[in-house]
Amino acid sequence: MNITLGQYYPVDSIIHRLDARAKILATIIYITAVFCAKGVIGYGLCIGFLALVIVLCKVPFKLMLRSLKSIIFIIIFTVALNMLFIRTGREVFSLGFIRITTGGILTAVKLCIRLIILIMGSSILTLVTTPIALTEGIERLLRPFKKIGVPSHEIAMMMSIALRFIPTLIEELDKIKKAQMARGADFDTGGLVKKAKAMIPLLVPLFVSAFRRADELAMAMEARCYRGDINRTKMRELVYGRGDFYALGIVTALTICVIALRIIL
Amino acid sequence: MNFVESRNLQFEYIKYDDETDEKTAVKALKGVDINIAKGEFVAVLGRNGSGKSTFAKLINGLNIPTDGILYVRGLDASKEENIWDIRQNVGMVFQNPDNQIIATIVEEDVAFGPENLGMKPSEIVKNVDMALKAVSMEEFRNAAPAYLSGGQKQRVAIAGILAMKPECIILDEPTAMLDPLGRRDVMETVTMLNKEEGITIILITHYMEEAALADRIIVMDNGRVAMEGTPREIFSRVEEMKALHLDVPQITELSHIINKSVNSFPSDILNIEEFTDAFKYYGWNKAFHHKKENASPKYNKPILEVKGLTHIYGKETAFEKVAIRDIDLTVGQGDFIGLIGHTGSGKSTLIQHFNALVRADEGEVYFKGKNILEDKAGLKYIRQKIGLVFQYPEYQIFETTIYDEVAYGPKNCGLSADEVDTRVKEALAFVGIGEDLYKKSPFDLSGGQKRRVAIAGVLAMKPEILVLDEPMAGLDPYGRDEILGNIKRMHDDLGITVILVSHSMEDIAAIADKILVMNKGSIAMYDTVDNVFREPERLTAMGLNAPQLTLLFKRLKDELGLDIPVNVYDVEEAAKILISALKE
Repeated sequence: MNITLGQYYPVDSIIHRLDARAKILATIIYITAVFCAKGVIGYGLCIGFLALVIVLCKVPFKLMLRSLKSIIFIIIFTVALNMLFIRTGREVFSLGFIRITTGGILTAVKLCIRLIILIMGSSILTLVTTPIALTEGIERLLRPFKKIGVPSHEIAMMMSIALRFIPTLIEELDKIKKAQMARGADFDTGGLVKKAKAMIPLLVPLFVSAFRRADELAMAMEARCYRGDINRTKMRELVYGRGDFYALGIVTALTICVIALRIIL
Repeated sequence: MNFVESRNLQFEYIKYDDETDEKTAVKALKGVDINIAKGEFVAVLGRNGSGKSTFAKLINGLNIPTDGILYVRGLDASKEENIWDIRQNVGMVFQNPDNQIIATIVEEDVAFGPENLGMKPSEIVKNVDMALKAVSMEEFRNAAPAYLSGGQKQRVAIAGILAMKPECIILDEPTAMLDPLGRRDVMETVTMLNKEEGITIILITHYMEEAALADRIIVMDNGRVAMEGTPREIFSRVEEMKALHLDVPQITELSHIINKSVNSFPSDILNIEEFTDAFKYYGWNKAFHHKKENASPKYNKPILEVKGLTHIYGKETAFEKVAIRDIDLTVGQGDFIGLIGHTGSGKSTLIQHFNALVRADEGEVYFKGKNILEDKAGLKYIRQKIGLVFQYPEYQIFETTIYDEVAYGPKNCGLSADEVDTRVKEALAFVGIGEDLYKKSPFDLSGGQKRRVAIAGVLAMKPEILVLDEPMAGLDPYGRDEILGNIKRMHDDLGITVILVSHSMEDIAAIADKILVMNKGSIAMYDTVDNVFREPERLTAMGLNAPQLTLLFKRLKDELGLDIPVNVYDVEEAAKILISALKE
């Protein structure tokens, strides 16, 4: 079971200590920068900044590379597509209808770099921020929109409960699957209809269990005096520190540079 | 005024029948008068469906009384406006540790209650520190609950309540899903909170040894209070308790039986220390009558062999964990093996290799001399011959009728309709589910019945080896006895080789021939029941225990120098031995 995708990596670093809101905003600003990047200097700045964050956050580089594993096919696919269909510049190679040009290679490389730094940049957010802090950050960032009817607290609560229960339900599904296999169930052979039918013994118990858990959880929450965000406080109220302003300042400056470079060049 | 006061308290809920569209009112409580004083430790006993949990939920304001009076802390619990005040002061810990932890980090979860109460952040931090310290979980404050053991999770749940600074904590079967070590830790925490912090404790449990720790026991039956008194008073009424489908601690039952023959021997002894003292006081004179210890294990032809089995989870990742290492094991045909070990000792991983549900990183499993992965008859054949009943098997139920549920396995084996029919009927009859229930939905059954249907589902495949993973967990004493009786008959009458995983040493001692002890992924002991329980210290060091009677006999032998065996697991037999020597 792969549980590392977007999972929090618990070490203490300057990046870990930043306010969740600052981290979310910085990620969004950084993504903007990556989309605006043009030319060697633009990309260089983005990569340099990413490298700096990677070093500062103390998360093993290997773990970050793993987040790329899941999108490797998307990368290969886009690269191949670009190489095949963009026909600008000098021709490098040709075989039958396949023609690969310098323009195609350049675009493919650019896209590839862009995708990789995008994925790594956003996976850092989840590696250095606890899911709880993340949902809390989202809640706080959405709070101004509460007046226009955005249920920010409820959204955050649902997200954090989902995060809490995803591993539990995955484990449960694994157990149910094994139990049905022990009763001779076969999930791998047969046509589509047979395979779909074979899912019933998995899905029914899983849903029954999810509802039972939801019921018990709701009761446990009520027993602990939960009633939405009426009068609710937080143990760690998010407070912007000096570091958060620095971080946001740096990432904003980076973005401005990148955009300026794009306009000038 | 008492902390809890109820007069003629009643509660009913509406049950809705899908098939007939009928609504019926079910009376869960039929007039309950209970007083609980502040600072008291009360245990509530009763079989499933007796109204214990309903009563607990009323005290916490999760249920509102239908009729009668209920005052909690002097506040009327039937009035909506008092609910928050009551809940703030009466915390509740539930049975399933997974379903009451809300956050993904321990300290965030403990803070959940205080946050709901709107406490100041500085105060929350203080309370969370205090609560984690009280349950000895400070070092796990930043841990993810998913990586804690059941006992640790329950202590986090208790801390979550403590952080709200309640005057009373209700625990609804908090140890039902825990191993012996987890159970001990939770009970020590609960007792400490009562004695040192003065917190009123209401403990609902099916474990009589836990109830014996309370100041007072309330026995509920059929929505009413059936008995009330100190543990000593309640447990000495052995016959009444058994009539209510409940149990008494083995030690108490033993003293009760001795008392019948030797009238002056006390009949209400609660623990081993008291028993030893009573015995010392009473004196003994004659030689003890007892059977000779039978040390040589009986040898059966091998049916299942395990060679050099190793399994590693998450190989080559940051979460790599060796679940079992280099296991060698031979199970004889017709053996009855009890498998014990603390949570995470590798029991569940090991048994899932027996029918190739998981693949080993190293090593092989042989069924009747053939490697199960290379057997030409295929995996389906192996899974048919080696049945595996998972923990809480009723959670895997999915069919619309009981009949179809049990037929699922045999149908998967590709048997003819007639053969399937015969097997379903045989299996259901064996676990005591009558024909009138065949067309009913399995989801409508009681917990114990559901479990028996689930077990029948595996039995219907006619396994030669049946592996059961804690089949008695979470049931009341009556349900436990029923399942245990079924398993015994499967072994004795059907000749099935049984491997039974259990946390109850008493059950294992009473039923198994051999015991396999797992510790940290390896086999620590594999021997006859007598030989394994001969060394209780070794078991304790592994987070396990020996049966109560064994511990008592060992103590009598060591401390008083009595010439008695320690391999006694049956109360009647133990009584016979001791009576034979007591002074008339």
